Amino acid sequence: MEQKKYWQSFGELNDSEAYQQSGKDEFQEQLPFEADNKGLMEAVTPRRDFLKYLGFSTAAAAVAASCEIPVKKAIPFANKPEDIVPGVANYYATTYVQDGDVLSVLARVRDGRPIKIEGNDLSPIYKGCTTARAEASVLDLYDTARLRFPTVNGKEVTFDAADKAVAAALGNVGAAPVVILTTSIVSPTTKEVIAQFLAKYPGSRHVTYDAVSYSGLLLANEATYGKRAIPSYRFDNAKVIASIGADFLATWLSPAEFAKQYAPNRRIDEKNPQMSKHFQFESVLSSTGASADERFLCRPSEWGAIAVALLGAINGQGVSGIADKKLAEGIEKTAKELAANKGQSLVVCASNDVNVQIVVNAINEALQAGGKTIDWTATINNRQGIDTEFAALVEDMNAGKVGALLIHGANPAYSWFAADKFKSGLAKVNATISFSAKEDETTSGCKIVIPDHHFLESWGDAEPKTGYFSLIQPTIYPLFKTRQWQDSLLKWSGATTDYLGFVKQYWIGKLGSESAWDKALQDGVINPAAEAPLTAGAFNAGAVAGAVSAVSSAKKGGKVELVLYQKVGIGEGQGASNPFLQELPDPITRAVWDNYLIISPAKARTLLDIDLNNNGQADKYETVPAKKVVKVTVNGKSIELPTLIIPGTHPDTVGIALGYGRSEKVGKAAKNVGKNAFILAALKGNTVDFTASDVTLELTKETYEVALTQTHNRYDTAQGNRTEVVKEITLAAFKHDPEEIRREREAELKPFGGIENYEKEGTIYPVYERPGIKWGMSIDLNACTGCGACVVACNVENNIPVVGKNEAMRYHDMHWLRIDRYYSGDMDNPNVVFQPMMCQHCDNAPCENVCPVAATNHSSEGLNQMTYNRCIGTRYCANNCPYKVRRFNWADYTGADSFPDNQRGEVDDVVLNMNDDLTRMVLNPDVTVRSRGVIEKCSFCVQRLQDAKLKAKKAGRPMKDADLDVACKSACPSDCFTFGNVNDKESDIYKARTQNPNRIFYALEQIHVMPNVSYLAKVRNSDEPAHNGGQHHAAPAAEPAHHG
Amino acid sequence: MHLKYESQLREPLVTGNKDYHQVTEDICRPIEAKPTKLWYVGFFIAVTLLMFGVYSVYREVTYGIGQWNLNKTIGWGWDITNFVWWVGIGHAGTLISAILLLFRQGWRTGVNRAAEAMTIFAVMCAGQFPIFHMGRVWMAFFVLPYPNTRGPLWTNFNSPLLWDVFAISTYFTVSLLFWYSGLIPDFATVRDRAKTKLRKLLYGVASFGWTGSTKHWQRHESLSLVLAGLSTPLVLSVHTIVSFDFATSVIPGWHTTIFPPYFVAGAVFSGFAMVQTLMLMLRKIFVLEDYITLGHIEAMNKVIVLTGSIVGCAYLTELFMGWYSQNKYEGYTFWYSRANLFSPYGWSYWGMMACNVISPQLFWSRKLRRNLFVTFFMSIIVNIGMWFERFVIIVTSLYRDYLPSSWSPYYSPSIWEMGFYAGTFGLFFTCFFLFAKYFPVIAIAEIKYVLKVSGDNYKAGVEKEEKMPVEEFVHEYAH
Repeated sequence: MEQKKYWQSFGELNDSEAYQQSGKDEFQEQLPFEADNKGLMEAVTPRRDFLKYLGFSTAAAAVAASCEIPVKKAIPFANKPEDIVPGVANYYATTYVQDGDVLSVLARVRDGRPIKIEGNDLSPIYKGCTTARAEASVLDLYDTARLRFPTVNGKEVTFDAADKAVAAALGNVGAAPVVILTTSIVSPTTKEVIAQFLAKYPGSRHVTYDAVSYSGLLLANEATYGKRAIPSYRFDNAKVIASIGADFLATWLSPAEFAKQYAPNRRIDEKNPQMSKHFQFESVLSSTGASADERFLCRPSEWGAIAVALLGAINGQGVSGIADKKLAEGIEKTAKELAANKGQSLVVCASNDVNVQIVVNAINEALQAGGKTIDWTATINNRQGIDTEFAALVEDMNAGKVGALLIHGANPAYSWFAADKFKSGLAKVNATISFSAKEDETTSGCKIVIPDHHFLESWGDAEPKTGYFSLIQPTIYPLFKTRQWQDSLLKWSGATTDYLGFVKQYWIGKLGSESAWDKALQDGVINPAAEAPLTAGAFNAGAVAGAVSAVSSAKKGGKVELVLYQKVGIGEGQGASNPFLQELPDPITRAVWDNYLIISPAKARTLLDIDLNNNGQADKYETVPAKKVVKVTVNGKSIELPTLIIPGTHPDTVGIALGYGRSEKVGKAAKNVGKNAFILAALKGNTVDFTASDVTLELTKETYEVALTQTHNRYDTAQGNRTEVVKEITLAAFKHDPEEIRREREAELKPFGGIENYEKEGTIYPVYERPGIKWGMSIDLNACTGCGACVVACNVENNIPVVGKNEAMRYHDMHWLRIDRYYSGDMDNPNVVFQPMMCQHCDNAPCENVCPVAATNHSSEGLNQMTYNRCIGTRYCANNCPYKVRRFNWADYTGADSFPDNQRGEVDDVVLNMNDDLTRMVLNPDVTVRSRGVIEKCSFCVQRLQDAKLKAKKAGRPMKDADLDVACKSACPSDCFTFGNVNDKESDIYKARTQNPNRIFYALEQIHVMPNVSYLAKVRNSDEPAHNGGQHHAAPAAEPAHHG
Repeated sequence: MHLKYESQLREPLVTGNKDYHQVTEDICRPIEAKPTKLWYVGFFIAVTLLMFGVYSVYREVTYGIGQWNLNKTIGWGWDITNFVWWVGIGHAGTLISAILLLFRQGWRTGVNRAAEAMTIFAVMCAGQFPIFHMGRVWMAFFVLPYPNTRGPLWTNFNSPLLWDVFAISTYFTVSLLFWYSGLIPDFATVRDRAKTKLRKLLYGVASFGWTGSTKHWQRHESLSLVLAGLSTPLVLSVHTIVSFDFATSVIPGWHTTIFPPYFVAGAVFSGFAMVQTLMLMLRKIFVLEDYITLGHIEAMNKVIVLTGSIVGCAYLTELFMGWYSQNKYEGYTFWYSRANLFSPYGWSYWGMMACNVISPQLFWSRKLRRNLFVTFFMSIIVNIGMWFERFVIIVTSLYRDYLPSSWSPYYSPSIWEMGFYAGTFGLFFTCFFLFAKYFPVIAIAEIKYVLKVSGDNYKAGVEKEEKMPVEEFVHEYAH
């Protein structure tokens, strides 16, 4: 049968040639290219085709070019853990512990990564504050220099192999003792673990070593109170404080705690102005000295004599034994004030000399400080090391009398003044085991290394003050093959539980139940049910007479003396490997990435031939980073350091910071930074003396460039008189005439309507209402001690890049928040003001109108906002900022640039290291990482503000202060920041402004930029007349200083 | 355009007893002859500088502005100094072509072509700085207000930097058109004399089919007048707007109402100095002494002494106001940071004063005004001085402004910063050498207007007088 043919068209029916062709061709129409079968290259290209080709090739090139975008993997959870919500932070209470320094903290964990340390409000000791070092410690977790596995003789091994090696080594010691060498241990469970371990090895012992020891204080307390302990100092109860060389607000003993206690007494209630009075006797200007009301210069060798003279004067015998008239008057005055406030006064001293501390104890006893400003119930456990014990250990090691040495935390190969002797001793010990997380100087000499966890990976507890506990819990799974050292000890002592089990068991035993343990873990702290009443120690005056005569007959100092001090960031050297801390400007010198020799202006005149009173020479000194290098020789040991001239240094004393000159193996940040000054210390009697009384200085021909983040230091010189920037007044003047500062402001603003009408009258433009939220900040200059916690907190919170020494020296530091330090008055012993300075979020911001592309603009809530991806980097805004707070990304500091690999050779290694994948884990995902070529600046932590608003919105109520916390404010140990919604009459910021009408001022108010950051004037409780420009310099009669 | 009044006494604008053909010959000679060795040497140096500049900019774009020694306090340094300096130089050309045209200053014809070329090249050089001083130059198009897909984002019309974008681009466009429209008849002359096909083609294209018909000339004249009218306000506006970059800010030393006139005077001052430098070289190298005469040089020196004195007045006014206002910030900037020779940048202020105010006063002497060596030397001095002026304004204001804590360490440029500047010299001279070789450096058509205007009469008069017996001369002038 013939098949039927179905057809759809005539073409198909007829099966024409054209139809057949159309079946073959895929496209019905001609291709748009008129190739004429000659190949594309030979084709004649009419105009339209040319455009087609152009379009196609451009599009193709664009597509091809876009393919270069690197692929970044984000892997979602297969099974989402219940408590992790991407984008929402979890907080875990834990404890920062480093070499005896303790801080109860919360770790903010984002998507499994701890990224920020916050204070734990539940701690009655630290009350939610942090320190610069604690803030920066989160970076140590992601440090590329951390040891990543256990080693035996430098070779990677498994934990089993390491344990076997340890067992073998410990089995070999024979009769020789096993020694555990640690820094001060504040953990009660760790102490038990150590005891368990040592019990296995008869004759073994635990030696505590503190790089900067407090043995003098401990031994003095043993001699006078019968307890080798340090009592609590209660600065909160002290109306009169005298410190002899102790930098108790920044580095001495427990600075965060002390600052927290000290600050409330420094704040002023305008209606009833009262504040504590603080006398400081010191040799080199410290931030504590800078905060003092009266400061007297002395040589370090005079500390003892001052204590004796104070004791004599308080006991009514008058000041004796002090040659310097000014100093003697100061002592007399101090003694008078102290004695007049018995039971409310306190004397502390930095000396590590037992006799001096005995005398200081006698003074405090005479002041009836016991039970009031000194508490023997809750003793401070931060420092427990006794120098003689360690010195004996070094002798034993050299004599071959130590079988095994297990080292945790301690790093005497760096910080012991006779490090070579320690190292040679270490070589003679058969079994040397280090638990150091990094290959520090001591670990380099150890045979077996079993790196410890970072505290954010650890379990544990701490007892910073007797009766007050703080728990440590891990916030991340260990990053590397590390093991908590307590686990190792438990294993080696044959225990069956691990350390977590041990801690848990210990605390369940103490607390009674597992739920109590869970709660304690959640809180992070275990406090006594009620605060124990303060107790006085039983004073035994027997040692005093001997101490007084020993101090009085002590050798007088030589021509030039030396103080070895610590910096708030670097400390004893623990901070040296942390880039954030290296780049934290010293509160006084404002230098970063170096230590140097501090000399007085008087000494500079004779030694360096630089006279800071001569404008030309001062300018030259300030504007050139290269500083003259001086060779310092003490007891035949010498180091060469650049000199910085710091007013407020005793003319015959020089200062050098400890903690520098570390091995680069502890981190890129430590590479070639400064010189080790520990070698200049010496064992004097029973204790290590961190001062030297006979120093030779010798000017070399060399210069060395020091990176200073602030080069000009005064605001009150005749030419550069800037009293609108900083205002200070004395308490006496303030009581006498509370409105002085207000009047001064009124005079400045008078031509523009005075304070009340200034906003409207000071401009020809209309002024708008600002309803709803208006963010504002108030900073109490009285409370700020310059400690730098806020600066580091800001760095960590806002992903602020580290720029390294070279860039910092070129004045390229990126800090959004800085603490300006100004001197005023007498250059030999100046007054100091710290002024935290960040974007002032001006309502009438000069930066906003000059940006050609509107990359910076104003939010309806009063924020001056920065749109990074709109910024083209003209830097006009930075030029036009009167506060100079805008920071430009001069190079690719963050690795976020669109030009790949353009950093090598251009920025310091440490900056590259900050861009390592590991280090970048510290970045806050809520904050954009800025690329090269854009401006950045303080955002008032806008990510946190958004969070606070959302929190309130979800709860269906208006936002309150409690929802808010900006990074600087939450870090500050002295609570100098107040932040919030100015329009909210219930807010702290509203109150801070309205309740302080006589102290409030705005920096550079008269240029009508209308800043949203207000300051409260510095009030100094000194007898001097008021010190602000109004009185100090004849102010011009009319001040038409208007610029807006 | 022909001046109908013929002066008996005025010096001729063109010397050497030229006829029309000779003019054409003289001016076309460099175009048609092979370049001299000197040209090659100069061109090579210019291109080398340009290449160094390109490399410097490459570094800056690739590694960041950190290649320069600017810092957190001094956000602008050599970059904007050079920008303002070049823009200033770019003023004389238009001033000569436009304002002098409107004022019927016949002498301008000898120098206007080269001066305009200088303007164009100087503005090209100037433009490099605001573009490449950006941290993210690849985003520079953000400054253009064009409809885009970025939502409500638009340029900020409050910003003086945006005004700069418009001012400079307008100025460049108008100057270029003006220059080019003047070139058309001369290109046609070169085309007509061309002996090779290529030459004919290229100059033919460049001359847009100019035939020299009366209609062409009529339109050309009208166009010139219109463009001159357009350019005239631009001469004043461009530097006024550049001065707003500073005047509208809050920085002491910048925030000054005197800036617009002071900047314009300064621009004319430096522009004329640069014209002098170039003309003196040009007339020597291309043997154009008959066209660029001592008369021209003297006239321009007069402008220099006038504008130099205006600038000097402005400096003194600033100093006076620094004291009279009793504003301490201004007082500090003007009296301590600048006028104090012993302050860190005191040398730059006094360098500026010496170069811009004191040394041009030499030109009150006619003898010195007409001395080529002195003129050349002074033209260099003035340009150095004007560079210092911009440096003083920018750097000494910024480096110590309001907060003493942020006062800067000493700023001196890095090699790449200097390289960028050197590179713009390279660009400028590369362009100028090409111009001198391929373009008629003197307006042939225009010079012919003025050839007979005063020259013949003057010559005839002087000849007559020279031949006169003394008695008759005395008698003649006794009337």
